[in-house]
Amino acid sequence: MVSKVGFVVNPIAGMGGKVGLKGTDGVVKKALKLGAKPIAPKKAEEMIKEFLSYHTTKDKIQWFTCAGEMGSKELTNAGIKEINILYTAPDKTTSSQDTKNACKQFLKQNVDLILFCGGDGTARDIFSVVENKTPLLGIPSGVKMHSGIFGITTSATAKMLHEFVNQTLTIGDAEIMDLDEDRYRNGEWNIRLFGIAKGIVEPTYVQVGKTSYESVSDNEIKDELAEHVVDEMEAHDGFLFLFGSGGTIDYIANKIGIKNTLLGIDAIYKKKPMGTDLNEEGILALLNKYPKSKVILSPIGAQGFILGRGNLQLSPRVIKKIGLDNIIVISTPSKLMSTPVLRVDTGDKILDHQFMEKEFMMVVIGYRMSRVVKLQTNNF
Amino acid sequence: MERDPSAFLKEEYEELVKNNFDWKLRILETGSSPHSVVDGKEVIMLCSNNYLNLSNHPRIIKEAMDAAKKFGAGSGSVRAIAGTMKLHMEVEKRLAKFKGTESSLIYQTGFAANSGLIPQLAGKGDIIISDELNHGSIIDGVRLTKADRAVYKHCDVGELEKVLKDADKKYKRILVITDGVFSMDGDISPMDKIVDVAVEYGAMTYVDDAHGEGVIGPDGRGIGAHFGVEGKIDVEMGTFSKAYGVVGGLIAGSQDLVNFALNKSRTWLLSGSHPPAVAGAQLAAIDVLETEPEHVKNLWDNTKYFKKELKNMGFDTGHSETPITPVIVGESSKAKELSNGLYDEGVFALPIVFPMVAKDKARIRTMMNAGLTKEDLNFALEKFEKLGKSLKII
Repeated sequence: MVSKVGFVVNPIAGMGGKVGLKGTDGVVKKALKLGAKPIAPKKAEEMIKEFLSYHTTKDKIQWFTCAGEMGSKELTNAGIKEINILYTAPDKTTSSQDTKNACKQFLKQNVDLILFCGGDGTARDIFSVVENKTPLLGIPSGVKMHSGIFGITTSATAKMLHEFVNQTLTIGDAEIMDLDEDRYRNGEWNIRLFGIAKGIVEPTYVQVGKTSYESVSDNEIKDELAEHVVDEMEAHDGFLFLFGSGGTIDYIANKIGIKNTLLGIDAIYKKKPMGTDLNEEGILALLNKYPKSKVILSPIGAQGFILGRGNLQLSPRVIKKIGLDNIIVISTPSKLMSTPVLRVDTGDKILDHQFMEKEFMMVVIGYRMSRVVKLQTNNF
Repeated sequence: MERDPSAFLKEEYEELVKNNFDWKLRILETGSSPHSVVDGKEVIMLCSNNYLNLSNHPRIIKEAMDAAKKFGAGSGSVRAIAGTMKLHMEVEKRLAKFKGTESSLIYQTGFAANSGLIPQLAGKGDIIISDELNHGSIIDGVRLTKADRAVYKHCDVGELEKVLKDADKKYKRILVITDGVFSMDGDISPMDKIVDVAVEYGAMTYVDDAHGEGVIGPDGRGIGAHFGVEGKIDVEMGTFSKAYGVVGGLIAGSQDLVNFALNKSRTWLLSGSHPPAVAGAQLAAIDVLETEPEHVKNLWDNTKYFKKELKNMGFDTGHSETPITPVIVGESSKAKELSNGLYDEGVFALPIVFPMVAKDKARIRTMMNAGLTKEDLNFALEKFEKLGKSLKII
């Protein structure tokens, strides 16, 4: 089978980092002035070269890309001869609009995967066009990479592409994180969950024979997690349940017939919605009304944050009221493989310290099945 | 509705064949011996569980034949109705004495012990805590319960303690289950530490010692004796099918455990008991272990020599502490190539590949046999070296 891969490089990604700008959004000229040099084209080229070194007869790819440094140059330098150029940027200095235009062309070609080289900003631009129509894989080259669609290293990304085209990896959820770079440069964190894309993940395997295994789809695992959540809700009938953000929780909510906000916090009491897309005040008002509560969270983004990234509504006041013992963390095993540590950054030192004393969380990974995962605070 | 009720049999089998996941049975034309004939070719056997070569022991064979002559070919019933012979009771008594426990019970197989007993030990409101690399029969036993389940990192007692700490407040019964010797890597679970931490949190302990029985501990008495915690593990489960050279599963522990197990394990209650020949051979195998220490000694001498030589050649043999020695080669395709090459050269050892083990940890799993001579080992080592070099593993 030939895989159709759309390939786009954001040539300016990562340039701000070297000159201390914590991002390149809107400050390309300043970065160039400070002596920044493009790094993404080189990383993209290295990754493609490494991918080619794994080459087997199954690694058949039909490449779709953009002219020049936005893709064709890197592919050619790496040694790929047959390239379909779908887009040419009008100006020498490329912009986020060029990335978006390229992705529109990829969608028209129904590519199986969009491989890109950049950072969180590039991921956000691509997602704004592609949404969850096509899986994304990022070659890490930005200043910030909080989104869950990046390979850990250039080399890991090459292996993932090889395994994807050989059909040993499957498609799962990956969060796109959004950071306001202007505020970040001023020392403020303002990361929110921008959307849930399709990423490529290691499948979960179950043993079916003595030495034979079957991979289980992400949705089958999420069905199990949904059954678990239903049991929890039945066992704690008088509790208010807060559903956190992210693809896994959204799937579960839909499965059990609850309308859910993908990127927000919703409240359920006796299987009825008590509030959707709640802000901190809204949550606190409900917690006053319903003194017993539980919150269901799932790790968000590449770093495995359960609190402090993408769900600031769950403020220290909210968490203290709910109680640390009433936090239920759920995750598919494949997601947990890429985020082996859970992180918490509530912004409240005393609360963070309480988490640190816990040292670990039990994470639900299947129906009535959990495993212990290490907890870290203030670490990013 | 029109349907072909059995079409799936063929379809699913063909799917397995297509993906190369079907079992291609290798046929032994001899007994399971250090030198066996497999598919018409004489090979050095490095993948049987007959660690002590007791399946060929003259005394054990004779006792099996004598028992068959005296008591017949079959037992006639399940144990609970009319299938318990004096011989079965004698095996259980001798086994408990050998293992240093109050009592023991023989199951039809090791799988029957795990899948029959585990579901009875924990139910709704309880939790079973399991090592992440536990054997499939434990996993199946656990699946049959309504208990919650938690897994801890392989052999990580620190992580186990964290799970216990969390479970302590929430559950009625807590059951910790682990393999004794892990069959993929040949490492041993830290049973003494597991017992300590379980006692602290009021948890029950269950060890599947299938690959440790007859192999580790003084005279091969198993993992309890190996760590000096005989009688402190609530359930020591094992098998007669591996080092003992016969067939059958076993549990050893308190009289309360045995009384409970034989009244509650559905696999035990609803399967025919072992034929007299099997029970006779089991009894003789215990006898041999008690009186002929040379078999266990030979097994360990061979193991140490083989491991040392493989390491000297530059092979990665992992962290094995037992006669299971993995030869880790990396990619799955390389492990398969090495296994095929070894068979062609007269050495029988099977590859273990992803997802049984991590992607970059595909291996040949070798299992030592007490009946192999130094010449046999040198022959096998020479083939490993030759193929290891030509495949650029070493």
